[in-house]
Amino acid sequence: MSTNALTISEVDKIYGTGSGSVHAVRDLTMEVAKGEIVALLGSSGCGKTSTLRMVAGFEEVSRGSISLAGRRIETLPPVRRNVAMAFEGYSLYPPLTVRDNIAFALKVARLSRSEVSEKVVGIARLLEIEDILDRYPGSISGGQQQRASLGRALIRQADLYLLDEPMGQLEPQLRAVLRGRIKHYIKERGLTAILVTHDQTEANALADRIAVMEGGVLQQFDTPAMLKERPVNLFTGTFVGEPPMNVFEAHVKGDDRRLSLTLADGFSLDYAADAFSHDVREELLKREKVVIGVRPYAVRRSAEGVPATVSTSQWLGDQTHIAADFGGHLLVLVEHDRTRLATGEAINVSIDPHNLHIFDPAGGTAISHGMGLA
Amino acid sequence: MSGLELRHVRKAFGAHEVFPDLSLEVEHGEHVAIFGPSGCGKTLLLRLIAGIYDPDAGDILMDGRSILDLAPDRRGIGMAFQNFALYPHMSAFDNIASPLSAHGNSAPTEHVREIAGLLKIDHVLSHAPRALSNGQKQRTALARALVGEPKLLLLDDPLRNVDAKLRYEMRLELPKLLRGFDATVLYVTQDYKEAMALGHRIAVMSRGTIRQFGTPEEIYYQPADVEIARLFGDPTINLLQLQPEKNEGGVHIRLSEVAVPLPGGDTLPTGRECTVGLRPEVLAFVDADVPAAIPVTVEAETPLNEKVVSLVRTSCGHELLVSRPAGTPAPASGPAHIGVDPGRLLLFDPSSGDRIALQDAVSTRGGSTT
Repeated sequence: MSTNALTISEVDKIYGTGSGSVHAVRDLTMEVAKGEIVALLGSSGCGKTSTLRMVAGFEEVSRGSISLAGRRIETLPPVRRNVAMAFEGYSLYPPLTVRDNIAFALKVARLSRSEVSEKVVGIARLLEIEDILDRYPGSISGGQQQRASLGRALIRQADLYLLDEPMGQLEPQLRAVLRGRIKHYIKERGLTAILVTHDQTEANALADRIAVMEGGVLQQFDTPAMLKERPVNLFTGTFVGEPPMNVFEAHVKGDDRRLSLTLADGFSLDYAADAFSHDVREELLKREKVVIGVRPYAVRRSAEGVPATVSTSQWLGDQTHIAADFGGHLLVLVEHDRTRLATGEAINVSIDPHNLHIFDPAGGTAISHGMGLA
Repeated sequence: MSGLELRHVRKAFGAHEVFPDLSLEVEHGEHVAIFGPSGCGKTLLLRLIAGIYDPDAGDILMDGRSILDLAPDRRGIGMAFQNFALYPHMSAFDNIASPLSAHGNSAPTEHVREIAGLLKIDHVLSHAPRALSNGQKQRTALARALVGEPKLLLLDDPLRNVDAKLRYEMRLELPKLLRGFDATVLYVTQDYKEAMALGHRIAVMSRGTIRQFGTPEEIYYQPADVEIARLFGDPTINLLQLQPEKNEGGVHIRLSEVAVPLPGGDTLPTGRECTVGLRPEVLAFVDADVPAAIPVTVEAETPLNEKVVSLVRTSCGHELLVSRPAGTPAPASGPAHIGVDPGRLLLFDPSSGDRIALQDAVSTRGGSTT
């Protein structure tokens, strides 16, 4: 027995045959530990939903194996996998009230009536649907249906919880508090969960680790912090993070004492050579051109920096988002305070070498993060 | 002289009165965001101004003169919509030029090119709409709205149908694009961040009335009512039902049995519950020995765009969201303490929802938001 709850091993999913076939998931291997919340994140067509459906048993694997709680499950029918699901299209039973829909999930658990009722009310209170328990699915909003379906999944005892876009339809005012409550509920009980989402805000808020998928290929499987600090390539670097990472092409020049990254004439980021490790310098100087990335939160205003011109400064209540012209490129800075900057105002910006991500311009692979190699 | 004025405008469709009595005064050259949920009347407001509908009563003025007797195309108004509404059979150039050609003018090529250049679509002018990206369609629609040099520009949720990344870029870029034009702008949106970012002032609409009209600062720091407080801010403001208490030290509320003073609260009616509003960024984790530190239990930590939002529970069972910039340390779970900036606490009447002014709080706030 391993401590992994779920092991996906060398799985492919190919729809159709011959020239019309679609390779939706390619050679996917990933392990989810017991008690872990994992998000499958990507835009539509990235393979995340096919993966989820193979784990649930709605799609067969074309190749590879899936194990859950020590059992091979890829050939088992969905009902025998002991997986709880909240899915679009895995809808509530229309003739049952919300209360009975949720309680139905407890049928196999052989609990007393009062125990069932207590559990249903508990999860309903957590999801703010207590006052609609006696209504029918057809008479409640999409967001409420989504929460009822989530309640029906979370109330069960299962080896794995599969949640597909669990909060996509919720009104924004409820999202933050429900994210906190659901995460607390899952963590307190040590449940293992996979959520599928195209919304990185949701993935970041809930997941211990995020699997970023694109073109059927797992790009990176890491904690939210590592995805931000050490993206393996330009795709994950620019896909994860809001607002997105600033990206510029730069020419590399340097000697034993200095290293400069030139964006345009007169716009150079100059660093002492020892701001980077020897290996990084060697990698960079091999190339004429690189792509440099810096997160909007990591750009600092400082007197010694490179000149930039403010084009817009937008205050959103808790943050200020500043757009600046930076050698003909758009540079976005985000500050956590109220910053008052006028359009056209000259500022100087600097980027600490430890906040610099450098990518190979050809394949987009990360060369370095900060002073060390990627 | 105001650029646009609505005076006691009334509009009904059959028995359904959408605007009982709507007034709004917008300065010349001002950008006003019209913010509200769908169905509140935002789009109808634009249509009345554009002349697509006539009001049942009241007047609409531009530069001090009524425009109600002017045909829509004589009002000096440019419009862009959320679905772009480009003519599919025309090139981007012809789409942009169409308002001019409609007036019988031969389309002045130079002028169209100049605007297209500003909006960075000069390289796709010969393309048909279907060959344009959503961002280019959106810019083409904007160029068409601007080509007639309108005095008033009406933008009906123009970023609604573009993807999140482009939407963000356009939000940053739009003020710069509009700067070259001298137009008064009404910008309809359902996104509070867009409203705060793009509006010099924001008109918050609800069910056919303007609930508050003010600068982003006024709306965020002094929302007229609890509903507006809930609509602005991410995560949403924490709302608690609490009863202010009066003693020799002044008026305070209790969180986890710890008294939090209400500056300027002496005039409050005590002995009844109020709705207390605490924005997540007004709360902060503090050491246990800080005066008035409030003991809480951290239940979950949910990162949010370089902020970290924690769900905590007070000893009385109240849930609170606390946010802080990412990278600042705090306990991820278990017992902790939080502090409140009393100058930024908001109070609302529990029945009407209206904000109850705390006089001193206003001056405190002035000093803490630089």
